[in-house]
Amino acid sequence: MFSSMLEAFLNLFRPIRTLQYPAEEIILPSGYRGLIEHDHEACIYCDKCEKVCPPGAILFFQHEAGEKEYRYNPWLCIYCGECVRACPKPEEALRQSEKKQLSAVAADGANEQWFVWEDACRQSREAYTAAKKSAKIQSKSEE
Amino acid sequence: MKKTIQIPLGSQHISLLEPIRFKFECENEKIIGVDADVGFVHRGVELACTRSFEFKQVGYVVARVCGLCAITHTLSYTLAAEKLLGYEANDRIKYLRMLMVELDRIHSHMLCLAHTAENAGFEALFMQIMGDRELIMEVQEAISGNRIQFDYISIGGVNRDLTSELSALIRKNLGLLAEKIDTLIGLFDNNWSLSLRYKGVGVLSLEDAYTYNALGPLARAAGLATDVRAETSDFPYEEIGYKMILESTGDIHARNFVRLREIVNSIEICRNIIENLPVGEIQEKAKGKPNGEAVIRVEAPRGELFYLVRGSGQNMLDRVRIKTPTFSAIPAMMEVFKGSEYADAPAILASFDPCMSCTAK
Repeated sequence: MFSSMLEAFLNLFRPIRTLQYPAEEIILPSGYRGLIEHDHEACIYCDKCEKVCPPGAILFFQHEAGEKEYRYNPWLCIYCGECVRACPKPEEALRQSEKKQLSAVAADGANEQWFVWEDACRQSREAYTAAKKSAKIQSKSEE
Repeated sequence: MKKTIQIPLGSQHISLLEPIRFKFECENEKIIGVDADVGFVHRGVELACTRSFEFKQVGYVVARVCGLCAITHTLSYTLAAEKLLGYEANDRIKYLRMLMVELDRIHSHMLCLAHTAENAGFEALFMQIMGDRELIMEVQEAISGNRIQFDYISIGGVNRDLTSELSALIRKNLGLLAEKIDTLIGLFDNNWSLSLRYKGVGVLSLEDAYTYNALGPLARAAGLATDVRAETSDFPYEEIGYKMILESTGDIHARNFVRLREIVNSIEICRNIIENLPVGEIQEKAKGKPNGEAVIRVEAPRGELFYLVRGSGQNMLDRVRIKTPTFSAIPAMMEVFKGSEYADAPAILASFDPCMSCTAK
């Protein structure tokens, strides 16, 4: 018991073990799983990342002309890296950086804006397939 | 006139990390009857696994059942799913998975020891053990890239490889930890004030351990030789230096010692894994859809974790059933409380290492 009391007393003179966070910077280890980064040029828009993402943090908006728009919600993402492993061009089109995302504030609209975007994406898909179908029927009837 | 009084412990109590309620029937200071309620943190994980997520994503969902044994949950589900797909992992994958599970066991046991010390009134020891636990958290963060939610194991392998720098870091931190554990063993054995709260308190006899189906460190402290690591052949534990740790007295002191000696054994296992890591791919293709029913048992830090997975050749699973160690140990826990003093209840409860998030899921 006396040895543990001595130990506790000596601890008064030892350096602090916790990190003095706002004053000291947190050093992340190399290979930290951070934000997912997307490259518009390299992406082939195969939608594989969207399909495998467990929480559904990656969504593509379908424009009428045919091209797609990538959107990513860093506050919904669980940073598992499954999208990068599914990507046919990893490290080019999609890669996992070591950057840390700050917590969302009200102005970010982490929930509300994302719900709007989810609906918009779904509707754009439906409208696109419907338009394609009707175009097909029309071309067939013309023949 | 009624001679007993009812005293509740929880659902919110200063000694509890998570909500659990015990209703004690007390005669003066002595507990004579116990009633337990565990379902305060139900989140519907089992249903979400079959309704909202495809079978390849479920591994990430069950990891969120519990923060401490995230890796064990994912591993159990992955093994069950791989059994259904008819896929067998190679040796390197098995060893890397084993490494993570053993690291998980070390830090989970250290949290329990710290919490037991805190509930016995030894706050400084709590701080010291939690500080030492950072050595393992650091290693896990470096291996998996995240501190709590590792997301390390996926169907068909593991997500990251072990580089030589990582091996060096693990060796260094395990060496530092081994010294600290030695001093902790001395402290838990010889400290007078700790022995007052631990020795002879909260005794579970061997017969009771059999009768009430105790498991994990709780059973091994009573001398009941049960450990899934020795009973199943999913992982080559024998060749990596696993030893069954048994104590005989069954009190809090014995449970602490089972945990401490298991940490020592796990450090040994981790070292052996790093020295003898086989060569091979870390991610292989596991093709097909799960069809049929699979049952998997894995030794989590707290005891046996049981998974049942049923699929019918679809992307969505039909059923995922999780039976966690704390849930299975509740009858034995209630038996231990009977006959002990009410003032000892928090220390006894902490020595069970109950995990309510796992139990209620």
